[in-house]
Amino acid sequence: MNKRILIVDDSFYMRTMLKNMLTDAGYDVVGEAANGQQALEMAVATTPDLITLDVILPDNTGLDVLKGIRQQQPDAKVVMCSAVGQETIVNEAIENGALAYIVKPFSEERVLEIVGSALQGDGSPV
Amino acid sequence: MTAREQEYRELFMAEALEYYDAMSRHLSELERNPQDVGALNELFRLMHNLKANARAMGFVDMGEVAHKMETLFGQIRGNERTFTGSLVTLTFRAVDILGNMIRAVGAGQDSADAKPLLENLEQLIQGQEVVEATEAPTEEEADADAARKLELSDLVYIPVKKLDNLLNLVGELVIDRDRILTLAAELGHPALQATARHLFRISDDLQYSVMDVRLVGAGVLLNKFPRVVRDVATAEGKQVELVLAGQDVQIDRNVLQLITDALLHIVRNAVSHGLETPEARQAAGKRATGRLIISALTERDDVLIQVQDDGRGIDTEAVRKKAVRKGMITTEAAAALDEQEVWALLFEPGFSMADKITDISGRGVGLDVVKLAIDSLGGRLRVNSELGKGTTFTLVLPTSIAVKGALLIELDERAYAVPLLHTDTVLALPNDQVFAVGGLLMTHIQEENVPLVPLRQLLYSEGDELLPRATRSDLPTDGSLLQVLVVSYNNRRLGLIIDRFLRQQNIVVKSLSKPLDTIDLFGGVTLLGSGQLCLVLDVPALTRLFLAKRP
Repeated sequence: MNKRILIVDDSFYMRTMLKNMLTDAGYDVVGEAANGQQALEMAVATTPDLITLDVILPDNTGLDVLKGIRQQQPDAKVVMCSAVGQETIVNEAIENGALAYIVKPFSEERVLEIVGSALQGDGSPV
Repeated sequence: MTAREQEYRELFMAEALEYYDAMSRHLSELERNPQDVGALNELFRLMHNLKANARAMGFVDMGEVAHKMETLFGQIRGNERTFTGSLVTLTFRAVDILGNMIRAVGAGQDSADAKPLLENLEQLIQGQEVVEATEAPTEEEADADAARKLELSDLVYIPVKKLDNLLNLVGELVIDRDRILTLAAELGHPALQATARHLFRISDDLQYSVMDVRLVGAGVLLNKFPRVVRDVATAEGKQVELVLAGQDVQIDRNVLQLITDALLHIVRNAVSHGLETPEARQAAGKRATGRLIISALTERDDVLIQVQDDGRGIDTEAVRKKAVRKGMITTEAAAALDEQEVWALLFEPGFSMADKITDISGRGVGLDVVKLAIDSLGGRLRVNSELGKGTTFTLVLPTSIAVKGALLIELDERAYAVPLLHTDTVLALPNDQVFAVGGLLMTHIQEENVPLVPLRQLLYSEGDELLPRATRSDLPTDGSLLQVLVVSYNNRRLGLIIDRFLRQQNIVVKSLSKPLDTIDLFGGVTLLGSGQLCLVLDVPALTRLFLAKRP
């Protein structure tokens, strides 16, 4: 079975690009959430193998969403996504269980490398 | 620009314009109430998104302006500074410039030099008051500002279902148009004929425009194959390098949908039977890893999808022998066939080259199903092979197809489709509602005597021979009801006696290609969801045939 991924990003453009990259590589994108509320609901509904999580969201920060998801599913694998400038939040996210950090703008190789190793890893940061 | 790049650009533009509108709105809110945390958070988020998206698109200046603005709003949010003084003027100006940059991208123009603005923003970030706020808009810019209209996104998203519906309607329109053209010609009214010709041109354009909307990149399907190939290769112990090409070639989304299974079959076949095991390849002096190329390309009005392997190739002699063994052909006839003709045998029903039955393929259902699917679209299947070098399957597909509503009926265990446009009503008649007049069976529907004729007789009648005279003794003696489909053409009703009704469904009709296009009882073919080929009855032709042959 293909690995199942949930994309959380408030930009439709970003989600589409990520979805194309992941789908082309043979992953199943099981959901796309545009805000924190949707993200939490979809994480429960779809139980994905991995979540890519944007740091800045309209309703709450990615950090709150990360904590919420990890509370619901302590084993959830989450990779943070952000443009430069949010390193503080990203570091805090890693301390709160995020596995890695993809810097926007990202290359396809970089995304697949990080997603691949996060999925294969034992749950420690990659 | 590839189709995907084009798509990204359009998405970027649509979203950037949305961001720009929202930024302007929140900036005004913040000016009215500098303590508005919601507006501040939104401005920060929008700048952050615009920065990331612009950089992903390679719009460096736009990304840089958004980045500095994000930093500034971050400082305000962190209470390092207040939204007052030259900061207010400059941020409004900066958002205007961002708007200009976004519009310049949309218009395919270069945007003005952002350097002065970037320097001013940097000064602000460093905590210096900007003495000389970015120069006031020039006269030209002011004019442009005044002339600026409100802009909505140029992009809408439409579910395929709505597009199907649209094409259906266009299909109906085209049929009515053709009828109006015929009537106009019959009536010989000049003004009506001129209008009919105009209607013809307009509806033709409309049809093409609608079809154009339904085109998608072939990559939508091709990109699903890396996984398929990997799985089959693993199961079969093969090493395969997959190359995809032509993902941007445009094709009707429903054509792709209809060939999905066929292509899946060919690709699995190529890995399972075409490519050899690593050991066999090395023994033959080849690279251990086989190469499989799946590509799409455009050729005039057609789209070609090719599956090319560098495997063992088709053993023409083995195919000949097998066809003879299966009783499909005599030894002499087989010997007389050339290579191409022998390969064509692969697409005959029941022919399967697999020596061992696997889960992947070789279950007797094979390339014949592939051929049917492609036939139903009016496409062609070509094969080319060289023993020891490899095989290439080429699917020649139409770029587009048309969809229409139809009633499916069954006769002699075969399904036929009748376009809804020509169906009037369906009846199940007991014998006592049928009477015979002048060698014809008739029934009474809404004060009208409608002739009944077994569809079988119309389809199987030959030459100029008249239909046999019918009497009531032809009616079922076991008390079963007569299944009748009443069709209408030119206000004339005709009851076709069939075996049973199947269902109503939307079908994709493809006209028959040569030499079958001379058989005028059939308006085309369609492929049912079951993969079964189904002929579409031409009601006008059937009616004409009935009138010519009535006893």
